[in-house]
Amino acid sequence: MNTLHAPGFPEAEVRDRAARGAAAVFPPTNRYGTAVFGEDPDDRYGGDALDAMRLVPPVFMPHRLARLIELGREPLFSDVSLECRFGGMRSPVPVYVSALGSTRVAADGVDLARQAGRIGLPMVIGENVAPMNGFRPERDAQHKTLSARIQAYTEELPDGVGGVCVQQSTEDADTEVWNFLYSDPVVEPLLSSGRLAFELKTGQGAKPGLGGLTLVDDATAERLGGRFAVESLGEDGPLLRCASPGTFTEEILRQQVHLIRNNYPRAHCWVKLPPARDVAEAAEVAWRAGAAAVTVDGAEGGTGWAPSGFLRHVGLPLAQVLRRIGTPAGDLLASGRVWEGTRTAKLLASGAAAAGLGRAALLAVSEDPEAGLCRLIDALALELRMLTSAVGHYDVTRLSSDDLWSPHD
Amino acid sequence: MTMQSVLSRVDTETHPLPTPRDHITSERTRSMIRIQQALLAGAREALAREGAVELLHPVIGPVTDPGSRGAKQVDVDYYGNRYKLMTSSILYKQTSLLAFDRIFLIAPNVRLEPIETSSTRRHLTEFHQIDVELAGATRDDAMAVAERLVRHAVATVVDRHSGLLESLGRDPEVLSAFAARPFGRVTHAEVVTELHRIGHSQSTGTEIEWDAEELISSTANGPFFVTDYPKGSRGFYDRENPEEASRLLNFDLIAPEGCGELCSGSEREYEYAKIVTRMRETGENPAKYAWYLDVIRQGIPASAGFGIGLERLTRWVAGLDSVWEANAYPKLPGVVSP
Repeated sequence: MNTLHAPGFPEAEVRDRAARGAAAVFPPTNRYGTAVFGEDPDDRYGGDALDAMRLVPPVFMPHRLARLIELGREPLFSDVSLECRFGGMRSPVPVYVSALGSTRVAADGVDLARQAGRIGLPMVIGENVAPMNGFRPERDAQHKTLSARIQAYTEELPDGVGGVCVQQSTEDADTEVWNFLYSDPVVEPLLSSGRLAFELKTGQGAKPGLGGLTLVDDATAERLGGRFAVESLGEDGPLLRCASPGTFTEEILRQQVHLIRNNYPRAHCWVKLPPARDVAEAAEVAWRAGAAAVTVDGAEGGTGWAPSGFLRHVGLPLAQVLRRIGTPAGDLLASGRVWEGTRTAKLLASGAAAAGLGRAALLAVSEDPEAGLCRLIDALALELRMLTSAVGHYDVTRLSSDDLWSPHD
Repeated sequence: MTMQSVLSRVDTETHPLPTPRDHITSERTRSMIRIQQALLAGAREALAREGAVELLHPVIGPVTDPGSRGAKQVDVDYYGNRYKLMTSSILYKQTSLLAFDRIFLIAPNVRLEPIETSSTRRHLTEFHQIDVELAGATRDDAMAVAERLVRHAVATVVDRHSGLLESLGRDPEVLSAFAARPFGRVTHAEVVTELHRIGHSQSTGTEIEWDAEELISSTANGPFFVTDYPKGSRGFYDRENPEEASRLLNFDLIAPEGCGELCSGSEREYEYAKIVTRMRETGENPAKYAWYLDVIRQGIPASAGFGIGLERLTRWVAGLDSVWEANAYPKLPGVVSP
């Protein structure tokens, strides 16, 4: 029934959480009392530098004492506050749904939007959703549209939390995605409550240096031919629609941020950076120009179609991206292989204000279009509370590099 | 969260539009139209004295002024190609200098402005501009022409229609006195400093916000220029000051009495590499400007120019409450009207 797969990603675990929720944080309950558990011995997913890090609780916990005094009892993990604010939006957990582009697997966007809205998770909508799939619902394409996603999201959204961030890349500028949205009635409830952001996309996590790549059929290729390069992959092979990554210099990035702030004063400005070698300098330029958030993808992230060589050999891993940025000068949002609480906690401790769910969110919705993402977040939130209290904090935003140990230390 | 109609944000009680029949048959509208005609006649006279040739420019094209401040362009299906209604004539103004050194046009423009501008009293989605472009001119040259043009247009109206002005409640002597004074000149940075001094929030790197513009306009003792806007606030064609990075050699002309901006102008970027770079800085895809860039690549004259909003000028001169009154068939952002 489920046709969505994520090779190299802990798909079975994500699907388990999407089905069982917080119960899946623990080993199967039918093995309770009959088996012993230790570290996963075979590290099935290869792991990266973030996986190799460990969260390390201290013995002495002054923050726990402060919370104890406040509560008049020993604090528990359930006393941990996960509420936070990033990129101008509030969220019940330090998590957002990262951009899902026009790739066919992102067609579940409406179900995903509905669940993200219900939870109040900020959600990024990827580039090319508009030029590829159109703005307005049309008979057979109605679930693919940008407006449909936003409408589904806002219909479920509680007051005061969440928000939508819409990307625009170089080709999107031709279709004026942001200009269109800024006056679209569907967006008005978000705009009037400060919950709309526009994200300037400067590159892709899965394929830094390249623009968006999508397989399209002949008819779509013909329709898009004027705006995108279309490449045939061999004789009678599939057609590859290629977007340009856009050209950036420090001044171009700075001025594009200025222009977003100038043109859309009621929207927040986010900037997405690829895992590039000068990511720290670029983030600095973006924050200094007034970006409310900078999002970074590790080279291990991304939902889009990418050449295998790029997936394996191009771009910085997320841990290195965060190391290069160091102490962020503004809100830093990070994504790449995030699906559970420990990686989220490590990202927060490494300087991120929130972690982005990409593939995990898609898989969860694929597992259960009604509640898969909600359950995945329940499980993640439980873990995050446990981890945060374990290192002696009762506010998730207090996680810091002191709570981390790296084998390289 | 409930979905709202976009029109609910347009305050129709504060900004009632009459029926088309009531508007076009009202004496007030007739007076406005006659005053507007005199303004145009005065502008044409003034520009003829400057040696400018009047041209007629395209209404649609494959690309138009990308503008700024969130206005959407109107797409037109042109034999299967996506064309645009002109948001301004800037691209054609620059390339037309290959024919004549000084040109002008009275050009219709359409901009689907953000809904929030429906309450500024100075935004229409369909409006006209007195567009001027002068080869080899500096910003100061363009400002001087704009000042002479406005002064002569106002004088023409006062000369021909002082009775109509009075019938609209506008004192011709007050208007003449405004136009007679040399127009003042302040920089964007000075305006921001003044706004901060009086406790008004205003970013240093962006356009002057609508309410702030109305504020500085209402305390002015005559029309005045604001110069040197920051780079991120304007289109790619406003020339960057070579001596002050990130500042543009541009200007707005602000009317007094709370009417706000009448006119925007600048020295222009005219060198190919600089224009392509500035396009990227404004988030534009140079590929869609192919015809324009082909012309630029072979060279166009350096120039300066401006566009005066005809309805805004009419509103100020006739003392009208809102700019929609200065158009026979007004269209407000977000309001469906004929």
